[in-house]
Amino acid sequence: MSSRLGIRKRRLARSTGGDVVIMLFLLIGALFMVIPMILVISNAFKPLSELFLFPPRLIVRNPTLKNFHDLMVMMAQSWVPFGRYLLNSLVIVTFGTLGNVLFGSLAAYIVSIRKFPGSRIFMSMVVFSLMFSAEVTRIPNYVTIAFLGWIDSLKAIIIPRWSAPLGLYLVSRFIDGMINRSLIEAAEIDGASDLRIYWQIVMPNIKPAWLTMIILSFQELWRTQGGHYIYSEQLKTLPYALSQITQGGVARQGVQHAVTLIMMIIPIIVFVINQSKIVDTMGHSGMAN
Amino acid sequence: MKAKRGSRFSLRTREAINGHLFTLPFVIGFIAMFLYPFIQSIMFSLSELEISTEGYKLIWVGLDNYYNALFVNAEYPRLLAETALQMLRDVPLILVFSFFAAILLNQRFKGRLFARVVFFLPVILAADIIMRMESADYISAFLDASLAEEAAVQGTLGTIFSRGQLVSVLMYMKLPQQLVTYIVSGSEQIATIIRSSGVQILIFLAGLQSISPSLFEVAKIEGATGWECFWMITFPMLSPLIVTNIVYSIIDFFTIPSNPLVDFIKSNMFGGAGYGVAMAMSWLYFVFIALFLLLTAGLISRKVVYME
Repeated sequence: MSSRLGIRKRRLARSTGGDVVIMLFLLIGALFMVIPMILVISNAFKPLSELFLFPPRLIVRNPTLKNFHDLMVMMAQSWVPFGRYLLNSLVIVTFGTLGNVLFGSLAAYIVSIRKFPGSRIFMSMVVFSLMFSAEVTRIPNYVTIAFLGWIDSLKAIIIPRWSAPLGLYLVSRFIDGMINRSLIEAAEIDGASDLRIYWQIVMPNIKPAWLTMIILSFQELWRTQGGHYIYSEQLKTLPYALSQITQGGVARQGVQHAVTLIMMIIPIIVFVINQSKIVDTMGHSGMAN
Repeated sequence: MKAKRGSRFSLRTREAINGHLFTLPFVIGFIAMFLYPFIQSIMFSLSELEISTEGYKLIWVGLDNYYNALFVNAEYPRLLAETALQMLRDVPLILVFSFFAAILLNQRFKGRLFARVVFFLPVILAADIIMRMESADYISAFLDASLAEEAAVQGTLGTIFSRGQLVSVLMYMKLPQQLVTYIVSGSEQIATIIRSSGVQILIFLAGLQSISPSLFEVAKIEGATGWECFWMITFPMLSPLIVTNIVYSIIDFFTIPSNPLVDFIKSNMFGGAGYGVAMAMSWLYFVFIALFLLLTAGLISRKVVYME
């Protein structure tokens, strides 16, 4: 943050020793995580002979695109057109995330700023529901979804996502901590409605919060296989299709690694875009000027 | 238009109505997807579940399931205590690590975006589809087996120092015994801790980016040093998020599928002690976590600084 000031003024003095310590610390931490990533990437390009090498090599010797080619061939042969799986996944991810962010932040805004009767109880219920792992509520959820007649439709995955509690909790904490109440009061005196305060004052000010929420929600939905609610083949998701491909055993080891790379790379791309969006939002956070 | 509405309702009423309207979509979904299962699972925990061709049937057994989980089951109480101790060890480490990692990742340096990706990677890799693929990988299965063998020979693995060396260095520093054990067991957990702090880093990062730069500007003009800026601005501004992250870390620790207790409950759900007892176990577990959260969050919230 000191460096943010540095753009305008002169770069603030920081010892080179400090820089070295930072880099060292990050490097050690990064090592734990970057090695699996390198392995996944280079595995995807390994020919079968190298995949079964023991001890395994971190870096591929003779890179080949055969794994991806095999995957393409397999996709072309699949019974349901492959684009269909992709479309299903896209629909789930887009609408699920949109609804989750929108409804979650709306509710968070009201709970944190308006303090309507019962908002405290509401908030503690939200926190408690975070504690339930998906396994516990599986049967009742199925019963609810079946009662609504949503079994075997994408609704069954998208709509429950809209009321996932983590996002609400996160955003409301950010509003509590980061929004200056005098800003809201000023807007009220100027006659702004609730919706307007929410959209033009609160949301821009906590952009990092809901961008984070988007990442988490995307991450959660991207891996959805839809197993419990969706039975028609043409409604299944991409992760499901890809995981089916890899069930082939030894012969499909190569394809499996290509699939792993694809499954991993898309959340990373989303994350990168998302994070680079965060940076340029700040600087005009509403106060002072 | 606003004045017109204002004349019909008082400000208080209008706020209340708005409040209910805004939260309505969320509340409806919440009741259907979380509150209903919540109540349903209490019912399950108090009865025996029988699955037949027409669906399921509940036979009321009262508190038997709870008694069963706590006093009859041999493993449950032990697992509960173990998980709690592990949590007490890991969560503070996760918090400290993610806090400082976020602060570092918020600095401006070359390759920052890449560094952020790297630290977020575990969250992506934890996706069960990728996990499953990893486990279907023959080489890694073979590797795991040989590593486990090696570990059995050497005792521990995965640390830079061997355990004995670290202990003797720390003892030489005349640190209290308990602290030494804590540090040593923590250092053996480094990989786990880094892996489970991806979301926390992200939350702290978002928090750091929400702090108005003008605060730092003012502080600089007043002649505050970087150290003072950290303790007077960054730390208090992030303090609400520290509570958030404590809550998140505790919940995450208790509910990840790799948690042995969760696994145990799951294995009992279909088979083993039966669905009813498994429900009772998860309810006991839930109450236990809730108490834990209330205690920790309650203690720490007192120190939190809120923007007014």
